[in-house]
Amino acid sequence: MSTLIVIDQPPYGGWAGREALDMAFSLAAFDQPVSLLFCGAGVNWLRKGQEPGQIRQKSVEKNLAAAPIFGVEALLADGDDCSRYGLGAEQLLDDVTLVQADSQLFANYSHTAFAG
Amino acid sequence: MSEIQTLHILNKSPEHPRFARCLSMAGPEDAILLIENGVLGFAAAAPGGTTAKLLALAPDLAARGMDIDSRPVETIDYDGMVELTTRAKQVISW
Repeated sequence: MSTLIVIDQPPYGGWAGREALDMAFSLAAFDQPVSLLFCGAGVNWLRKGQEPGQIRQKSVEKNLAAAPIFGVEALLADGDDCSRYGLGAEQLLDDVTLVQADSQLFANYSHTAFAG
Repeated sequence: MSEIQTLHILNKSPEHPRFARCLSMAGPEDAILLIENGVLGFAAAAPGGTTAKLLALAPDLAARGMDIDSRPVETIDYDGMVELTTRAKQVISW
């Protein structure tokens, strides 16, 4: 009984992703097995060196750093989508596992929920 | 009462990229339940390109004034939706 939270929207342009992150952290805090998958434009959450101070927002990079503390099992990202947005191994945050976001992946989770 | 492998709950309008993605991912042992703006997928015709069983939530059709009796789709109410989730091995909320 494991849950996959999917973020397919980019950071900073809307709140859906942050809400999904809160949902994932809440599940993890109550010992519910949960992983996060970033796909589509959502992979832009995972780029190193985000400095959103000038747009008066906080870095989602810092939010994501809390994932292992809450007990989120894995940060997954679609490999093809990372390439599409120029995210190589050097640009990508640490501890991100590249996967293929398809029905085979979703089959590992009893619940999958897209953000927003 | 047949088992469903994956129940896809789709609440996005047909223009949303997830709408097409959901339809292409769902297999013949799956069911797609269209709710909220998802029911607009039945406005002109039934959504094509899927082998999954199609269902729609009646209150959402009624709210939008949609009469889809001619389409190949089963309509269910909220109790039916709850019952549907109990028959699915896995649920994806798009």
